[in-house]
Amino acid sequence: MAPKPKELKADFWKTKDFKISIGDIISEDGIESTDESSVVMGPTQKPNVTDLRSWDMKLLERYPPFYSPFCDMCCLCTYGKCDLLNKRGACGIDAETQQARTILLACCIGSAAHSGHARHLVEYLIDKKGDDFPIDLGMDIDIEAPIMRTLIGKKPKVLGDLKEALDYLEEQMVHLLSACHTGQEGSSKDFESKALHAGLMDNLGKEVGDIAQIAALDLPKGDPEAPLVELGVGTIDREKPVILCIGHNVAPGAGIMDYLEDQELEDDLEVCGICCAAIDITRYNHNAKIVGPISKQLKFIRSGVADVIVVDEQCIRTDVLEEAKKNNATVIATTDKMCLGLPDKTNEDADIIVSELISNQIDGALILDPDKVGEVATKVAMKTSGERSKVQVLPDMDEFVELAKKCTECEWCVRVCPNSLPMMDAVVATSEGDISKMEELYKNDVCYSCGRCEQECPRDIPIISMMAKVGEKDLENQKYNVRAGRGPVQDVEVRKVGAPIVLGDIPGVIAFVGCTNYPDGGEEVAKMAEEFLERNYIVVTTGCGAMTLGEYRDEEGKTLYERYSGSFDAKGLVNMGSCVSNAHIPGVAIKIANIFAKKPLEGNFEEIADYILNRVGACGVAWGAYSQKAAAIATGVNRWGIPVVVGPQASKYRRLFLGRTDKEDSWRINDLRKHSEVAGEPAPEHLLYAAETIGEATVMTAKLCIRPNDTSKGRQLKLNHYIDLHKKYFGTLPNDIYKFVRVEKDIPITYKRDVMQILEENNWKPREIPQEPSLMDMKGD
Amino acid sequence: MNERVIPWQPTVIAGPKQALLVTPETAKMMMKKAKRPLLVIGPLAKEEPLLTHSIEIAEKWDLPVVTTADTFKIFSERNVETKSYGTVEILNLLKDPDWKGVMGEGQHDLVIFVGGIYYMASQGLSTLKHFAPHLKTLTICKYFHSNADASFPNMNDEEWSKYLEKMKLN
Repeated sequence: MAPKPKELKADFWKTKDFKISIGDIISEDGIESTDESSVVMGPTQKPNVTDLRSWDMKLLERYPPFYSPFCDMCCLCTYGKCDLLNKRGACGIDAETQQARTILLACCIGSAAHSGHARHLVEYLIDKKGDDFPIDLGMDIDIEAPIMRTLIGKKPKVLGDLKEALDYLEEQMVHLLSACHTGQEGSSKDFESKALHAGLMDNLGKEVGDIAQIAALDLPKGDPEAPLVELGVGTIDREKPVILCIGHNVAPGAGIMDYLEDQELEDDLEVCGICCAAIDITRYNHNAKIVGPISKQLKFIRSGVADVIVVDEQCIRTDVLEEAKKNNATVIATTDKMCLGLPDKTNEDADIIVSELISNQIDGALILDPDKVGEVATKVAMKTSGERSKVQVLPDMDEFVELAKKCTECEWCVRVCPNSLPMMDAVVATSEGDISKMEELYKNDVCYSCGRCEQECPRDIPIISMMAKVGEKDLENQKYNVRAGRGPVQDVEVRKVGAPIVLGDIPGVIAFVGCTNYPDGGEEVAKMAEEFLERNYIVVTTGCGAMTLGEYRDEEGKTLYERYSGSFDAKGLVNMGSCVSNAHIPGVAIKIANIFAKKPLEGNFEEIADYILNRVGACGVAWGAYSQKAAAIATGVNRWGIPVVVGPQASKYRRLFLGRTDKEDSWRINDLRKHSEVAGEPAPEHLLYAAETIGEATVMTAKLCIRPNDTSKGRQLKLNHYIDLHKKYFGTLPNDIYKFVRVEKDIPITYKRDVMQILEENNWKPREIPQEPSLMDMKGD
Repeated sequence: MNERVIPWQPTVIAGPKQALLVTPETAKMMMKKAKRPLLVIGPLAKEEPLLTHSIEIAEKWDLPVVTTADTFKIFSERNVETKSYGTVEILNLLKDPDWKGVMGEGQHDLVIFVGGIYYMASQGLSTLKHFAPHLKTLTICKYFHSNADASFPNMNDEEWSKYLEKMKLN
């Protein structure tokens, strides 16, 4: 690792108007690695685990962790199990610290998944394109890697430059994971600081991964008019051989698309995907199709449409091989993350692998060469499709009716369902020939087909297969679209909207991200996005969230992507891409600080995060977050100062960051313009908040876009939306509105009389609007 | 094991400590004994018959009421005064021994829950179990909540309705 200027501590660097040029950074071999003559380097280049701890403690002071233990016990070492309910374990740990430790572990897992993915991509693409392949995101993006610039202090110019960021974060991850070992950290807040660091490493890893694939595979480069691509179970031509890709790594899917193109077979096969692999393959080649988000997985596999299932990494059913065997589909595993016990055929001749697979000599194959995956998957699909089409993979409805009659109404299917859905009622109705209740569960993925009901059923009723069969009735209507993931926001767009966002004229940037562990299906999420789009917010989205938004059509039959532009502007619906593209969400907030406010990035994390927290009205919504990756993503953006609203299932993550409006001192801020501490306001009120219903989430999201820096005009707009939405879902004006009114000019004209009444009831007094709100240089720093 | 006291979602079992199974009589004794009880009503009470049951129980025992999520609206339309908090917000306040309670008279010593989404309620009850030793929790849903201090058992709608009717008597 490059030597770091550690001897110059934070206070020195914070001296007003002081600039220093360090010049180039010395690489391992001592050779200068960039030709930039002058780099203004801040105090935290390549921050180590404790370097941003003081910032974390500021966040944790204002937003203390709120814990909901999933388990009373710790079972990580052989002293245990230890019951931590109101007592300490054998190692001395208490329940609070154990929760924080578990959160760190989850964030390490999530971060490692993204960064492992990024490492795969970078090595693969360097191998394919060369170490010196340029990172050029086009004329409109000069700040290609805002996270990397801030943390590493460098602009990556070629693919090989990305390795430095990976080397750095891999070192950090080792230290973070090691802190989870028994007998290490003993403070919940320090565990949380480490979790925030793991989240930050997650953000960096994702940025590296997406930039590598955008540059080397020529994915859309911030194109607001990226094409619409097909989405939905009904878009797949079942008459053709079908290859299904599941997971997150684009490489095997790209290998398949390349092979089809080389062999001029594009029109002869269907290549489709589930989860982020689908998003990224369609960014690579618009002829590929998206089946849908993760909630489609088991249903679609059961439907038997796919002749070949190619799995790569993350969020894949671990029983995919057993499920595929049920309908004679072939599984090809393609990464070291998921080998499924299959023989490694990477170095075998492609035709021999094909022969072994179609003659069932092997259960499936592990092929770690994406190009070979392309050839083998294509040949196997073409050879087996005809035979498989003769096999009826799902029983017909009459058989299902008979199977449903076996139900004893024990209700355990309902009890083990994560959302306590009325599975039993649906089965009983089916036994009477009425499938309407099953259809209700199928629509909008209200049932996201985890399959726990089937596992529990004492009569082995194939409930998910029934669900898949029901879905086949209405294929024509299951055709939607999504704008292909465009990647980062262009600098020119940031120049246009930077001021309106920071001043509050655009009421907020809302990011719909994450998985489909929704409490009541996807439609309510799409309607929530629609609500904010209609209100002139900028809506960005990624991954399964982006697919969910595409699966909703209005009364005229149009999807949200057909109704709203892909520009990063008011009323824009911006699909950035896959999970790794989530990096562009903090990325655009960083760009606003840099382009609009001229804040230097390099080594300057704390100032940038402070700017975002106090001035950029952005809020994430992860209504169906389920994985450790989602935990890392949210924790990472929290460290940048971006709040996140999650759904009720996310209460199982065990930890939220909640502010207390009654603790007025916790909201004090420093007005940097006047060099004085002033009373602040709860803006944003929480950093990580779990809502119970979509109405609550909608109102909270609008509230969490409020920032101390809003001008009175901007504040009026934000409060107007907050009040409107509160009236819609709660029936009244919010009784905390007085906390967000600084001067009378902040009050929305439409609601002036009502708001004034609330102000009077609460003995409201006007207060000064800070010119440069900040948490930096506070007393006690 | 008695199915009535296996948690409704069985995997929420968190450890050796399980809630005490209570009948309406025991639940009412807890309420009578409490100095500053609080009723927290979740979004499942937006529907009947729980809406009317919960209103009548609150009136009978003169309980201050917190509605969570967007449950406030329907109660407001019924002219029932409640304080609106997010579930996690009210839990966050309840775990603070120095919080003055919704009436400003001091932290509550008994919190009765009804109508929350099962798994989220279970997580919230776990929070209070671990970090709010100063108060007791009681759930009167039709599901057994192992993370509460005291809980009704798993019941069908008919039996539950009888339990809730009994809660309206002395």
